[in-house]
Amino acid sequence: MRPFTYSRANDPASATKELAGNPNAKFLAGGTNLIDLMKEDVERPSAIVDISGLRLTEIKPIAAGFAKGGLSIGGLGKNTDAANHPLIRQNYPLLTQAILAGASGQIRNMATNGGNLLQRTRCPYFYEVAMPCNKREPGSGCGALEGVNRLHAIFGASEKCVAVYPSDMAIALAALDAIVKVKNASGQERSISFTDFHRLPGDTPERDTNLAHGELITSIDLPPNKFADKSYYLKVRDRASYAFALISVAAGLEMGSGNKIVQARIAMGGVAHKPWRALKAEQFLAGKEATAENFKRAADAEMADAKPLEHNKFKVELGNRSIVLALQMAMNGGKA
Amino acid sequence: MDVNETPDLSDDEKKLFEDLMPEDLDEILDTGVNRRHFLKLVTLAGGGILAAQSAVAEQLFTRPLSVPVAAELSSATIENGVNVSLNVNGAARKLLVDSRMTLLDTLRERLELTGSKKGCDHGQCGACTVIVDGQRVLSCLTLAASCEGKSVKTIEGLAKGTSGSTVRLHPMQEAFLKHDGFQCGFCTPGQICSAVALMDEAKRGDASYVTEDVRKKTAPVQLSTEEIRERMSGNLCRCGAYPNIVAAIQEVHSGKPVEQTFRFSA
Amino acid sequence: MQDKNKLTGTPISRIDGIAKVTGKAAYSTDYPVKNLAYAVLFKSTIAAGTIRIIDTTAAEKAPGVLAVITHTNAPKLNVNGGIRGGALLQSPEIEFYGQHIGLVVAETFEQARYATHLINVTYDKKEPKVDFEKLAKEATLPKDKERADAKRGDAKAALRDAEYKVEQVYETPIEHHHPLEPHATIAEWNGDRVTLYNSSQIVNGAQSAAANTLNIKPEQVRIITPYIGGGFGSKGGQWANLVLTAVAAKQVNRPVKLALTRQQMVNSVGLRQRNHQKVSLAATKDGKLTALAHEITTHGAIKNEFVEPCGDCSKVMYDVPNSLITYRAVPMNVILPTYTRGPGKSTGSFALESAMDELAYALKMDPIELRIKNEPERDPSNGKPWSSRKAVDCLQVGAKAFGWEKRKAEPRQNQQGNYLIGYGVAAGTYPAHQRPTSAIVKLKRTGNDVMATVELAAADLGTGTYTILTQTAADALGLPLRNVKVVIGDSDLPPAAGAVGSVGAASYANAVNDACQKITDELLTRSGKQFFARPTASQLMLSEKLTEFQTRIDAKPLESAEEYSAHSFNANFAEVSVNRFTGMVRVNRFLAVTGAGTILNPKTARSQIIGGNIWGIGMALTEESILDPRWGNFVTRSFADYHVPANLDIGDMEAIFIREDDQKSNTLGVKGIGEVGIVGVAAAVANAVFNATGKRVRELPITPDKLL
Repeated sequence: MRPFTYSRANDPASATKELAGNPNAKFLAGGTNLIDLMKEDVERPSAIVDISGLRLTEIKPIAAGFAKGGLSIGGLGKNTDAANHPLIRQNYPLLTQAILAGASGQIRNMATNGGNLLQRTRCPYFYEVAMPCNKREPGSGCGALEGVNRLHAIFGASEKCVAVYPSDMAIALAALDAIVKVKNASGQERSISFTDFHRLPGDTPERDTNLAHGELITSIDLPPNKFADKSYYLKVRDRASYAFALISVAAGLEMGSGNKIVQARIAMGGVAHKPWRALKAEQFLAGKEATAENFKRAADAEMADAKPLEHNKFKVELGNRSIVLALQMAMNGGKA
Repeated sequence: MDVNETPDLSDDEKKLFEDLMPEDLDEILDTGVNRRHFLKLVTLAGGGILAAQSAVAEQLFTRPLSVPVAAELSSATIENGVNVSLNVNGAARKLLVDSRMTLLDTLRERLELTGSKKGCDHGQCGACTVIVDGQRVLSCLTLAASCEGKSVKTIEGLAKGTSGSTVRLHPMQEAFLKHDGFQCGFCTPGQICSAVALMDEAKRGDASYVTEDVRKKTAPVQLSTEEIRERMSGNLCRCGAYPNIVAAIQEVHSGKPVEQTFRFSA
Repeated sequence: MQDKNKLTGTPISRIDGIAKVTGKAAYSTDYPVKNLAYAVLFKSTIAAGTIRIIDTTAAEKAPGVLAVITHTNAPKLNVNGGIRGGALLQSPEIEFYGQHIGLVVAETFEQARYATHLINVTYDKKEPKVDFEKLAKEATLPKDKERADAKRGDAKAALRDAEYKVEQVYETPIEHHHPLEPHATIAEWNGDRVTLYNSSQIVNGAQSAAANTLNIKPEQVRIITPYIGGGFGSKGGQWANLVLTAVAAKQVNRPVKLALTRQQMVNSVGLRQRNHQKVSLAATKDGKLTALAHEITTHGAIKNEFVEPCGDCSKVMYDVPNSLITYRAVPMNVILPTYTRGPGKSTGSFALESAMDELAYALKMDPIELRIKNEPERDPSNGKPWSSRKAVDCLQVGAKAFGWEKRKAEPRQNQQGNYLIGYGVAAGTYPAHQRPTSAIVKLKRTGNDVMATVELAAADLGTGTYTILTQTAADALGLPLRNVKVVIGDSDLPPAAGAVGSVGAASYANAVNDACQKITDELLTRSGKQFFARPTASQLMLSEKLTEFQTRIDAKPLESAEEYSAHSFNANFAEVSVNRFTGMVRVNRFLAVTGAGTILNPKTARSQIIGGNIWGIGMALTEESILDPRWGNFVTRSFADYHVPANLDIGDMEAIFIREDDQKSNTLGVKGIGEVGIVGVAAAVANAVFNATGKRVRELPITPDKLL
């Protein structure tokens, strides 16, 4: 860990101002990923602005605007508190399950909602500073592309980077069409739709998100939905708990009369550089009967475009099966 | 197959029994002392008491549980110093720390509280778990600088009393002893801090990934064995004491004795 | 057999338990040594070649830095002094990725760690040998005579003519020990004598390795290790970090603390090597084995060889007239492999016991019946009689307790919702040995109270040594537990065997028992009286009004033990459920039935067996370390990438002990349980996965991708 100055921010305005003045400054919230990466010498901030004391922790109903009738979650609230808030458990159980599928009790007590979105990849070539990695050191090459890439992307990767994004919470947020609200040093606020928040690697894998330096996540807004009773977050991993996903699927089904699907929401984790909305599967399911066969055909439609690497070919089949199972579990009321 | 067979009690055990379970003396006078009582003592009342009677338990190889003054470092050795006031195990502490210093290293290297362990230093094992403002967190990923005004409880702060016969263990510590919830003991402080905080999470009605229906919120929540396993999965134990850890927690959580038997077969 | 009035055999809680649950047990880095400086190691980022330039200028100028030590300025050490794995900063040569190439000592840990980032190294690289798949064909006969080809009869011919046969290859990956306590040392010099607080499974071994390597006398080195945060073999032999801490402390003339990081653990303290095992079994149609060939290909380090004995179970488990066991090994640019829980037997039994299951399936025979049918009367490898063998009892008792009759012989016949359920069985064994161990017993009387202190340089790495020795001494001296103090983990005490290879309990408990008998004999002689019944030492102290008395013994194994083949045996039963969509496997229930002689404390013994079982479940389902074949670095370098089982991975665990009175192996009949607990476990799980799914996974671990 390199030397850095430490300051505690008293309010969002001074926090963003302090960051804006120093391109090598970083916000510290829960610290669960940043401190880890600083110890690895991957992150090397010269200044830390501790925003963990800011009161952006409220969870409250949204009275107006696009997400009217939905819920606003404070950017600096803790993951545990979000997962267990009565309104989230009742109206967004998919989010509760996704948060609780991630990390451990201790980490969820530390990690913040905004910070969760900013988790960096767990790619081992990113973590080991002696290895080439375009995300950590642009131009150094991608260690995983022709290396050990069992855990890597099958959608949306580039020659520059095949890393996957590790958050569980964000996969549910993608399925929930969340909106990320941010504020900068000039006090300007903007809303970023969830699909636009994270980026595909392209030629600039060093940029995980479209957040500008110094912008602070003030809240994550959830529009209302009609699939709270038919949703499920499935996580497939190498051990039963406390492991990152091989594949995860957030699924929600808004049902009409009979057994007909009005709208399906499906997002996948462990497959891309960002939460992967399975739009092809969603499109296929709209207006269809909720049958095992249709679930399978939806999964086939989505996975047809997968481009696996040498060691992760299994993710195509596993992704397919996981979509089917997640939809089945969602139909069962999301019971674990 | 005989389960926990019950031969007679030795004199040694008799003495211990009288010392430790005087409330059962009437029954003993009526029915005589036998191994069944002894095993009850060992397996139900916390066999750890037995260990406490032994000469080795307290004095040998263990560190005094004092509250030392924070080791003062010359200011030259502290870079980007941050003044922090926090409460540790009920005592107010004030110290100047290097901005890079974690809470874990502060406890261990400056406050002589070495109970919290460094198993990975990256938030991947749980051995450094402490309770900050009532919540279990990882002290290895917490900067000491960010602990201003916070209240930290470590394994050293769970038992009442300080040494010898005046120590009254926390019920979770008792349960870990009774159920042999450890072998090497290195992950144990983290496991116990985690388990203690988990009891409050259950009282609040918090859910987990294996909660059958997260939409149903009840408080307190009665934890199944599976729930305890999931909620304790952030604390790795390489010796493989998991079943014993789960039994210990279940016993404290449910308030009912949990049977764990070894068996012999002829 | 257990005496009903004895403390040994009772499930008392750990003597060291209170220290452990209160956080007061002091592990290596917990000692409050004053004026500490902190050392952090830095590593090679190539796997083969030499260091051309190592620039430490910036690091030396960094705040708080007291010294930077590399091969350019390190003192001359004896590289053949007994430290394993090299990396002693004696030359610019690089033998594996992550090799220590230097260390920084600074006032604080933060300063030392930072300065390691400022080291600049230029290498002359060589092509590393790290791709086992490619190197395996270059493997040759190991130098170790124990790994020479072992032939009995003509296995190849018998296989050729067999009615039924199985010929399969089983692969097990590199595994790491990963004790929760990373290897760590505090070194404190006092004149020419150094005290090393350092977790050591073999206390005297650590002492001599440190002394020899530092070119000083053993009596100049004191190892203190009362508590060990797990070891599993990795703290048996000692590694460079121990000696380098002493070097650093000498250099800065201050006590120094050096702890490996979790990431450094994968390249610093040995590993379980990759094994490629071909097992061939031939049998008659009624299940009598006619041939067993077990051909192992593995790797060592680039300069030194270590070949774990994967063929050991195949030598002794079954009665088979034609047998062939061979080893071939190839050097690789990795840290030297070493003993890892159940060395050889755990990985070897995965191959053998999977093959037995495959054979049973081919024969349409119950796998338990197949094993019983091939039970040997004597040790097939040397013709010696068994000191005692409870292999069949383990299988039969286990089958009944587990509900084996509910198993469907055909796979995929038991589905519950989205889960396929399967049952598996596998047997295992581990040899039982007692090793020379000395001990001192001191008695001290105050009024009517007699206190005993038992001293020996034994180790307790969570195995229960303190507890069983307190029980043993209390029984042998006629004292209550609370009047016995056991002092271990210090090289100044009488030399003792290591807590390795399941010899600890037998070696220590017999030595303590012998010492207690000896002190009683001496007190009797001294009293000059005749007694109707043998009095206890405690009674003699009182009757003779002695205030202090002590004796020492140098206990040796029974000479007659050599005439027998002594082993612990077990049978493992697993019930798994496999998610039919995702391939995720859970072990719902696991039962290990063990015949391991006298069980000194069933509570700690049960824990140790279950712990071994959980290691085996990790081997079966989650643990795998992967080298990048281009650069030789482990991509699985943290606990996030290398999956040891977590709490939720483990279902209901049960342990049953077979009563076994085996005084042919040693006086107390203690056979050891630390190792046998893992043997056969991975095979039981893999066999259950086959029974559930119909998929035979021969390449561990059984991760979801292998069951799609």
